[in-house]
Amino acid sequence: MKFSVKAWSNGRARAGVLLLGGCPYPIETPALLLTTRKGLPIFISPDLLPSLPSPDSHLLQFSPLHFLEDLSPKTISDIGGLHQILGLHEYVFSAIPRDSILCLPECNSTNKTGASFETPCGRRLIKPVEYMEMISSMKPNLWATLADEVPAWVSEKRNKASVDRTVTWLDDCIRLNQAGGAVFGSIVGGLSVEERLRCAKEVMKRNVSGFFCCSLFSA
Amino acid sequence: MALRFEILGRFNRARAAQLTLPHFVCQTPLFMPVGTQGTIKGLATNQLEEIGCQIILGNTYHLALRPTSELIDELGGLHKFMNWPRALLTDSGGFQMVSLLHLADITEKGVTFQSPVDGKPMLLTPEESIQIQSRIGADIIMALDDVVRTTITGPRIEEAMYRTLRWIDRCIAAHKRPHEQNLFGIVQGGLDPVLRDICVKGLVDRNLPGYAIGGLAGGEDKDSFWRVVAQCTAALPEDKPRYVMGVGYPLDIVVCSALGADMYDCVYPTRTARFGTALVPEGVLKLKHRAMADDIRPIDPTCECMVCKNYTRAYIHCLVTKDAMGSQLLSYHNLYYMMKLSRDLNSSIIQGQFPEFVCKFLQKMFPKGDVPEWVCNAMEVAGIDISSCCAPFTTSQD
Repeated sequence: MKFSVKAWSNGRARAGVLLLGGCPYPIETPALLLTTRKGLPIFISPDLLPSLPSPDSHLLQFSPLHFLEDLSPKTISDIGGLHQILGLHEYVFSAIPRDSILCLPECNSTNKTGASFETPCGRRLIKPVEYMEMISSMKPNLWATLADEVPAWVSEKRNKASVDRTVTWLDDCIRLNQAGGAVFGSIVGGLSVEERLRCAKEVMKRNVSGFFCCSLFSA
Repeated sequence: MALRFEILGRFNRARAAQLTLPHFVCQTPLFMPVGTQGTIKGLATNQLEEIGCQIILGNTYHLALRPTSELIDELGGLHKFMNWPRALLTDSGGFQMVSLLHLADITEKGVTFQSPVDGKPMLLTPEESIQIQSRIGADIIMALDDVVRTTITGPRIEEAMYRTLRWIDRCIAAHKRPHEQNLFGIVQGGLDPVLRDICVKGLVDRNLPGYAIGGLAGGEDKDSFWRVVAQCTAALPEDKPRYVMGVGYPLDIVVCSALGADMYDCVYPTRTARFGTALVPEGVLKLKHRAMADDIRPIDPTCECMVCKNYTRAYIHCLVTKDAMGSQLLSYHNLYYMMKLSRDLNSSIIQGQFPEFVCKFLQKMFPKGDVPEWVCNAMEVAGIDISSCCAPFTTSQD
């Protein structure tokens, strides 16, 4: 992955350029990831994708949890990864465990061994090992590390714990990483600036390509 | 008359023709997908063009309810409304009324029913049906007929047949756009050859641009089905298109084409796609089946469609019944399959390879040689030798 900032505003905003994976065109940032379900934007079949603006529409989000119980990591590997499954080799796939519709973090069921999500297959506890197995089989261009996302109303103690766990799982994910791809370290901390900074400082110490800011909008 | 029908090739009763309509020049035999509400579920019009779709069917009943034929007319007709540059055919509205509405009542005036919108009593007359279809603006419009299912017996069938003939005159009188729209008559008469014959003669006397064979595809046994088609195609004029309504199983289409029919429509390919079933040369493939979960072959290795070229059965399996994309991709494949079948029927007849095509088709579908008896009987009447596919031990294995 190559990222460079091309211009700054007077404030903090910046315009940049992202080069990733098999996508032959550089993607300008700020950029919007297209939400997908199982890798394809809802209702837009792959032959209709080129009708969307290019290369902006080449940046696709997906959650590995979409495939739980439907496509085993082994089958995904046998086929050759997500790009091969979908026949979209020139597209950039970004794996993010949570999405806002189907795979919602369930912080009350999360524990120190893994993060809990409400998924289309019911509530599931995802441990770093299982998460990395999915990532390794799918081979996304870019993936966020497993995080303990909590809403804004949890106690200070719970919020601190979420930072500790997220950093631990970051190390687990990096250690278990066989997939390649650009690693984006997840940053949690709720609405506590202190905790956010603490988390960010820890993440920055690790060798990551980018940062994924978790749950900025929570009920 | 707003069409030209030119036969370019034959094999016995089967014919390949060029059907020139106001919006498109079509090659027959052809299959027409059903775009009930001004759209084929799951496909955009450019995709339909890409897969070679020539004519789409619109349901007058559904369109008259929503968004109304007046609005469609105001917006320039259905072609413009749904952005479909090729040909369109609308049915009369009669069938849906009878099949969808339990309280429909058929009288000499027309079909009376309760509006599903507000429960008000409404009447669809032959005149009204033609006017609605005129506003929608399709290349081919269908006469309002008195449809009776072939599973019913008794005097009702005879009544329906004669009424259909009386109504065709009212349809013709109400048809104000004969140079832009082709009014097809529909042969009724149940499974009774005498009644069918009277109906055919009556319609042919009216010298219509084309004829449909109606009242089938409603649960009758296959043996009766093909015999009615055979009788009608033998009696209908050579130089006009013949449309068997509601026929969509690939096997049925091959048989009817062998017997001399040209056009078909059915919801089957798209509807079965929404239930997770793909059409393949061997018959059907049920993608919902657990065995598909780790099958990394395409749906049909011989198919050139976008779906088969890019996706595995495993991926489609994980989509079907859970994500709309599953229905979309399967609908795309199934319609591609039907369009290819149409092209193959047309080209094999023109190239003088029709019997070979039929045999190959049957061998793929019945590899053990267990071709159904009704197919064997129909092919005999059609003059096509399928003995190489019917015997339990085929000579091709020697």
